[in-house]
Amino acid sequence: MNLRIAGMGLITPLGRGVDPVWERLLHGDEACGQPITDAISEKVYAGFRVPDDALKDLPSHPRLRRASAISRFASAAGLDALAEARSTIGEIDAERMALVFAVSNGGVVYTKRFYHNVVESGAQSASPLLFPETVFNAPASHLAAILGITGASYTLVGDGAVGVLAMKMASDLLDNGELESCLVVGAEESDWLLCDAYHRWRLLKNQPPVEPFHDPPRGMILSEGAGAVLLARQGAVEIDAIDAGGNFSQRREANEIVRRILHDLADEHACVVASANGTFVDLAERDAIKHELPSASVYSAKPALGESVGASALWQVIAGAQALRTKRLPQMLHPPRDAGLNFPAPDEISCAKAIILSCGLNQQAAGLRLSI
Amino acid sequence: MARFNDLGGKTAKSRVAVVAAGVISPLGAGLEDTLASLRANKDCVSPVTRFDVDKCRCKTAGQISDETLRNGRQRSRKTDRLHRATRMMMAVFEELFGQDPEFKPEKTVIGTTSGGMSFGQDYYRALRRHQGLRHSPGWIANYPPQKPVIDAQNAFKISTPCQIIANACASGTNAIGHAFECVRSGKYQRVLTGGYDAISELVFVGFDSLQASTPEKCRPFDRDRTGMVLGEGAAAFALENLESARARGAQILAEIIGYGISTDNHHLTQPDPSGSGPRRAMGQALRSANRSTEDVDYINAHGTATTFNDAAEGKAIKELFGDVPISSTKSMIGHSLGAAGAIEAAVCLLALRAQLLPPNINFRNSDQDLDLNVVANESREAKIDIVLSNSFGFGGTNASVLIQKLAE
Repeated sequence: MNLRIAGMGLITPLGRGVDPVWERLLHGDEACGQPITDAISEKVYAGFRVPDDALKDLPSHPRLRRASAISRFASAAGLDALAEARSTIGEIDAERMALVFAVSNGGVVYTKRFYHNVVESGAQSASPLLFPETVFNAPASHLAAILGITGASYTLVGDGAVGVLAMKMASDLLDNGELESCLVVGAEESDWLLCDAYHRWRLLKNQPPVEPFHDPPRGMILSEGAGAVLLARQGAVEIDAIDAGGNFSQRREANEIVRRILHDLADEHACVVASANGTFVDLAERDAIKHELPSASVYSAKPALGESVGASALWQVIAGAQALRTKRLPQMLHPPRDAGLNFPAPDEISCAKAIILSCGLNQQAAGLRLSI
Repeated sequence: MARFNDLGGKTAKSRVAVVAAGVISPLGAGLEDTLASLRANKDCVSPVTRFDVDKCRCKTAGQISDETLRNGRQRSRKTDRLHRATRMMMAVFEELFGQDPEFKPEKTVIGTTSGGMSFGQDYYRALRRHQGLRHSPGWIANYPPQKPVIDAQNAFKISTPCQIIANACASGTNAIGHAFECVRSGKYQRVLTGGYDAISELVFVGFDSLQASTPEKCRPFDRDRTGMVLGEGAAAFALENLESARARGAQILAEIIGYGISTDNHHLTQPDPSGSGPRRAMGQALRSANRSTEDVDYINAHGTATTFNDAAEGKAIKELFGDVPISSTKSMIGHSLGAAGAIEAAVCLLALRAQLLPPNINFRNSDQDLDLNVVANESREAKIDIVLSNSFGFGGTNASVLIQKLAE
């Protein structure tokens, strides 16, 4: 496989842009929890939100006039990834570019608003403007229209591992010689309803910080944003293996599958960018790393950025690529003393490879390996 | 008439066999019931019973009874708690693996639009009422679109990775098409594919709000068509490298020979009236199969019976294929969204097997602007070797697959 990252784009609660966000992560910054409320309940949750000014220079486009936040995040990240790619590999032929869009919860803000109207006032008050935005592939459709993509466009739905599955799909698509590149985007928007759902599922904590790898787990904080990578034949960072993993039916089975994925991807020169988010995922990853790569440098961006579900694996891929490009890995925030893992200081690292481990909250796990 | 076998079509690497299939829809549970309903030109659309439609214009849909879903392996106390979509997936896997218990997929690619949406509705309504929330963890856990597939796989002891494609109403055909490309590329020997969707209030009301659904009969390609009705169901297919399938003596139902996908950026919900999106998808399917338009004996059209879809699709079909027979299965069962392409591919398999043109029921008057050869109201026998199945969706996604009867 000769599959390389030609460009990356990132929008997170720590701002927009791969290099600026990376600098903040290296500096040890973490997003601030903001109150998330809804008229449906007095409960208040904390979440990490994308700052308003992160979208201020998003180009105006008719498709974005009424689009939800998730579509705007995806557009920002996608446009930034293409802009970087143009500066490194030259002009990109949109007709020979595919789009693979990873999402988990999708356009939940408009979906909730649409259904709220139905529940409150009856079917006759349902909005024909909102309904199309509730469809999972609406953000991908807007992005395709903005970029002029007329060929293959796929929206993949899954849990936090969906971003890796999207990378796998892009790899399969690029085996078709008619395609030159594939833009992989992961995006999510946050909402009170999601916070409440994850809370009832006993995965959410009330306030930051996110404390990864603690046993027992202490809970996660939801966030939002998007990540995008343009995959092509040229670029500094290579995707040299993707393991589409599999599914677990019980949480305790996650350990076994994550360990198998890491076993398949293990490389003594690799650091590990984990998906640890303060839930059962952390223990599965901790056990796998201890068993398969005990001396590897380990990092998770989720204490700083939160759990963005559909976007999270793309954020991990970008963090892994940045670690290889800059030879630095941010310090893990809020780890336990006794995790038994190697959390290095934010100094220069000697890794030539980065393993992205992605264990989702709803039965999917996958991973990939980057090299430079 | 356009020819596509001399336009530099890509040389196929591996041939792709369909070695097993399962289907459940308002036409029936299983391939045999489905074929019987096609022969009988059955209208399977009935008044909606699952939720209140008093305030909707449209009050009918193609539905699968709970009794049908309680048959077979999907009947247990545990599965009763699962979403109806999960039980649909279990039903089609039961039929599929009953035909070929030796089929061991390396990956699964399934299309859907709304996953376990009705559980999301239950959760939201309970929140509004401030009661009944003790069930919410179950609703939340079983709501995501991958869940019905993973649970159905677990029931058959399969743990292969799942790619869940949500390309709106083209999802099922996109899933089959991508699975086909995976096997054809030689990277995979066996891929499990298909699509599912269970009817839900949110989606029903949504299409009603767009006035895309009709209070009348669904009449695809009719001059007086007034819109679609919704449906539900699932279908699954076992795709395998043809040589591998032959080597192990597997039954071969048909061969998938081409796939096309295009994106039409005209509008989020309306196709470009020129038909350019469908034309590109159908043309690409022919090119990838190295076939010409004259090779196609029947088209199972997307045919939603909306003014815009049928006009754009009909224009593209007429320009490319002239008078090839076409019909829309949605006239019989409604539009099952992410399942539609998969169910319609199952209908295509049956058409090839039975040498039957499936009917386009409720058809009264030809649309002179389209001038299509519609298989009006009654199925009929015909010699069919190659069929094309179309699916188009919100977001401008267009997908076409080309399926061939394998010579004896």
